[in-house]
Amino acid sequence: MTQSAFAQPKERRDAPPPTLAAEHMSKRFGPLLALDDVSFTLRPGTFHALLGENGAGKSTLVKCIMGFYQADSGRVVVGDSDVMVNNPRDAQRYGIGMVYQHFTLVENMTVAENLVMARAEVPAFIDWKKEEQAIEAFMSGMPFRVPVRKLARQLAAGEKQKLEILKQLYLGSKIIILDEPTSVLTPQEADDVLGLLREMTRRGELSVAIITHKFREVTAFADEVTVLRRGALAGSGKVSDHTPASLAELMVGSEPPSASLLRQSSEQGHVSLELHDVCADDDLGLPVLSKVSLKVRAGEILGIAGVSGNGQEQLVEVLAGQRLPSSGKVHVAGKPYSPTRTQIRESRVRLLPEAPLKNASVANMTVAENMGFRCFDEPGFTLGRWAVRRGRLRRKALKSIGEYKIKTPGPEALIGGLSGGNVQRAVLARELDGEVAVLIAANPCFGLDFAAVAEIRSRIVAARNSGTAVLLVSADLDEIFALSDRIVVMSEGALVYETPAEGANVAEIGRHMAGHHA
Amino acid sequence: MTASAVPGAVRGPEVEREGARALMLRAGAFLDGLVVPGAAVLVSVILFGGFVALAGANPVEVFEQMYRGAFGTWFSLQNSLQRAAPLMLTGLCTALPARLGLVVIGGEGALYVGGVAAAAVASHLTGSDPYTVLAFMAITSMIFGGLWIGTAGALRAKRGVNETISSLLLSYIGIAVCNHLIEGPLRDPQSLNKPSTLHIGDQNMLGPLPGLDVHYGLLYGIVACLICWLLMDHSIFGFAARIVGGNPRAARLSGLRVPRLMILVCAIAGAAAGLAGMVEVAAVHGKANASLAAGYGYTGILVAFLARHSPLGILPVALVLGGISASGGLLQRTCDLPDATVAVLQGILFVVMLASETYRGQVNWFSRLMVGSKGAVA
Amino acid sequence: MTDAATLGAWGVPLAVIGGALRVSAPFLFVSLGECLTEKSGRVNLGLEGTLVMGAMGGYGVSYLSGSPWLGVAAAGALGAVFGALHGFLCGRPRVNDIAVGIALMLLGVGLSFFLGKPLIQPTAPRLPSFSLGFWSDVPQVRSNLQINALLVFGILLAPGLRWALKNTRWGLIVRTVGESAEAARAMGYDVNRVRLLATMAGGVLAGIGGSFLSLFYPGSWNEGLSSGQGLMAVALVIFARWDPVRCLYASLLFGGASALGPALQSVGVTSGYYLFNAAPYALTLVIMVLSSSATKQSRDLPMELTVAR
Repeated sequence: MTQSAFAQPKERRDAPPPTLAAEHMSKRFGPLLALDDVSFTLRPGTFHALLGENGAGKSTLVKCIMGFYQADSGRVVVGDSDVMVNNPRDAQRYGIGMVYQHFTLVENMTVAENLVMARAEVPAFIDWKKEEQAIEAFMSGMPFRVPVRKLARQLAAGEKQKLEILKQLYLGSKIIILDEPTSVLTPQEADDVLGLLREMTRRGELSVAIITHKFREVTAFADEVTVLRRGALAGSGKVSDHTPASLAELMVGSEPPSASLLRQSSEQGHVSLELHDVCADDDLGLPVLSKVSLKVRAGEILGIAGVSGNGQEQLVEVLAGQRLPSSGKVHVAGKPYSPTRTQIRESRVRLLPEAPLKNASVANMTVAENMGFRCFDEPGFTLGRWAVRRGRLRRKALKSIGEYKIKTPGPEALIGGLSGGNVQRAVLARELDGEVAVLIAANPCFGLDFAAVAEIRSRIVAARNSGTAVLLVSADLDEIFALSDRIVVMSEGALVYETPAEGANVAEIGRHMAGHHA
Repeated sequence: MTASAVPGAVRGPEVEREGARALMLRAGAFLDGLVVPGAAVLVSVILFGGFVALAGANPVEVFEQMYRGAFGTWFSLQNSLQRAAPLMLTGLCTALPARLGLVVIGGEGALYVGGVAAAAVASHLTGSDPYTVLAFMAITSMIFGGLWIGTAGALRAKRGVNETISSLLLSYIGIAVCNHLIEGPLRDPQSLNKPSTLHIGDQNMLGPLPGLDVHYGLLYGIVACLICWLLMDHSIFGFAARIVGGNPRAARLSGLRVPRLMILVCAIAGAAAGLAGMVEVAAVHGKANASLAAGYGYTGILVAFLARHSPLGILPVALVLGGISASGGLLQRTCDLPDATVAVLQGILFVVMLASETYRGQVNWFSRLMVGSKGAVA
Repeated sequence: MTDAATLGAWGVPLAVIGGALRVSAPFLFVSLGECLTEKSGRVNLGLEGTLVMGAMGGYGVSYLSGSPWLGVAAAGALGAVFGALHGFLCGRPRVNDIAVGIALMLLGVGLSFFLGKPLIQPTAPRLPSFSLGFWSDVPQVRSNLQINALLVFGILLAPGLRWALKNTRWGLIVRTVGESAEAARAMGYDVNRVRLLATMAGGVLAGIGGSFLSLFYPGSWNEGLSSGQGLMAVALVIFARWDPVRCLYASLLFGGASALGPALQSVGVTSGYYLFNAAPYALTLVIMVLSSSATKQSRDLPMELTVAR
């Protein structure tokens, strides 16, 4: 059983952390080889960065170590012995704790309640005075502290992150793995938390591994680095042996991004989509987009690169009508635009959001119906502007199913039963139908296999070639390079860098993605 | 169907094959869809049989009497149809909002408010011809019923107030306010023991359907269900409503006005329940009094859930439940069971049907039979 | 002041206070039960049915056994059975807790009318009472301030429940399950089991609340005994922001509002009787509107709840 820090003999608390090694780990998800023979060693008292782009396999690797997934092959070694980790509780037993990207705190409970409930054994009656004193005593030995009586939801993001870390220390973890710990923190909070963790590793109290794609965090805090690229080990070693440029090369590859073969050089037309100082708040009412201004011309693909979670999702929601902007204007073809049905139709704006099942389809409606969301009330599909002509929707769907090679038992099958790639194709078919003036695509190929990726990308380029203005939001830099005419970088809710795609410098873009502007 | 109806619609042999396959799949899925509800009804019947046996009655005799009281004779069938009429309308009151993912249970109040409003209007139209009176009664009852449930929809859309609780509270408030009006301003001075509104006048009563002993209210119910079926299952309005109910994010992406749809659908639902009140006044009671709140609103909730919120499904379900409630009297007389027996059966049916949701979609015997064991293409 | 007539207008507030004490008891028990259930992340709209069932069962057992306290125990047991049914069904995949609540409400009411038919005539022993009006010679004061041990128990239960939710392992587990099923599962708790037990406990309280109706005030069994107290209690929990002590205050407020109509009637004001009867419903609705927001959720809302989306 896991025990709280207090229940352990003092020796174990003061003992140095053991070595953690994952050797030759492989993991396959269906057709996707997420992890390909990757080895990783976290030596005692080191601060280790796992670097890589989204989907490079970093999370898969640590989830295999933590027992969320079972690796197809490979082994986990703690200290001198092989260990079987079947679930995160097992990992806890070996002193390995993980801090997740999304907080696992119970928001409506106090800091003390969160800490006590994390223990394996909670007393039947809790003497809060005693517990709070014990927690205070524990925190006094820690480099940072959090107000014990505050509710978790009253804590700032940085404090929550600290509490998550404290929770692991309180449970006696010697090895702490943090998944993108700074993605929810301000730069100052990030420096604060990482700096304190580094001090603890320097004192030999702790080993720390962080998953990140920010070079700055690697160079400023980590002793060692392991770089993953497309599920495979791209390189590892001491951080001092690397430069940001060499890390960037390991992370995104050295070959120049392949220019799109399909792309025709086309005359760029008038400005189709224009954003003026668009600002928006997130669900908690905190500002998340700051004065985003951009222009996309007809026949142009503008790629927005950036680490996910920097406001891209909310930008797409604003354009989709799923979130109200707090200020700013959107113009389409020079006219003010708000995403009502009439305006969407008149301006011919289409949208391909990420997670299409969650954002753009109704799982318990049929494929044909889902493909008719845009057109069901158009004259060609109605009887007397009133009744939906299912036969026509069905025939239209049949045509698209053939054209876009959507694998479905038929147009009458529920779309919720289709695979992710096929839902994506169905939504793409719907959105690219007819003449499209503006297409907004968000991570359109996320999680898809090669064939689907190639297909969807060629469709987007074809739309561009026919004069559509495309705004491509993607966390995948390869995708941005493969498709874009022009690239802007989004960081912390603002557009911070712009360059033509031709001759764009990967390292320069990476630097801006990582928050190094100025 | 011609291929030229939609420009470029080509139906190759592959597509034809796909179509046939899909048809088989649909037929299989349809049959599969009947297995679970069928089993649920069977389980309910067994549970209810056990219950009445414990209560000292002979289950076989009870079922026999129920059938006799509901559908066994021409008279009882007509009685069941008469009771089915308001149930169709109150069933719509829960079924329509359910299409948007809203659970509305305030049909009883909307019925009462609609009935009292209709009676009040009739008393101001003395001297007009019956059709005018009835038309005004119907419209008034629908407006008031619609206002009632529409308010619940508006509170949900604009203020995020839970519509289940608010609709029921509005229902209680409506009943209390109407009771106040019946006691006071609307009271017929002649009604001594049981305060009522003025009688709408015999010439204004809804008569029986030609050749039947069932009043015209049944036609109202059937027509309302058909209209709502066309509206919800075939119109662009209903299509939009289904998108909202299925996924509000997708609805916003499609540019649909989610709050407006919520309010409108709730108002239509309330109008249906209000019309039920008018039917009860104009065809049964002739005036509005406390007997209007006879529980049709609550049974309507069950009707909607059993019909899986399909306006067409409501027609047979309302008839069955109307029959069950019509048989209550006979059970009381012949089996010496209390009139609440039918409420027990309804309750059991409701609970078992909801519990069976967990098995819904898990049965694919017929689909597999139809397309072989390969199953659906992923 | 020994002459009852001189009480005059003072009779109304006195009757309201007395009524509030008695009428609030069912609200109190049901809302505490619902509060506990909702803290675990489920909504049980079926407590109206449980309340009526408890009233009928309590009355019946009291009549048959001659012991009203045995009746209270039976009412609690019936509540546990209904709670278990709700908890079990909602633990199954794809079963909706709101709908099951509505179904159990109808089933509970139907069952109690069925089983309670023979109980309308006989008189069962009622719960013993004592008067808080011992200090006064005025009979109205004494009779209006009649209360009983069950009410005292309920009033003490409110702070007790608040304490238990904060200071016991069980309380913390219930809250964790209601706030984040995922976190609770990660800690190794069986979310469905916790919710089942919380719903059963809530049912016990609602059943006891029902026995108060039939065994103390109004103190008889008939089919019009409850008029939606069980459902109002659900709204009341939202108003009380999921805090047992605030449930107590809210119950007293609602009890007072419900007592207004009968109190006025008792002094001869009969004209707006029905309107005064609507007061608690209108009050509930107004409070719900005021305490809801289209854009942001109540901060105290258990995060797993769907009722106050």
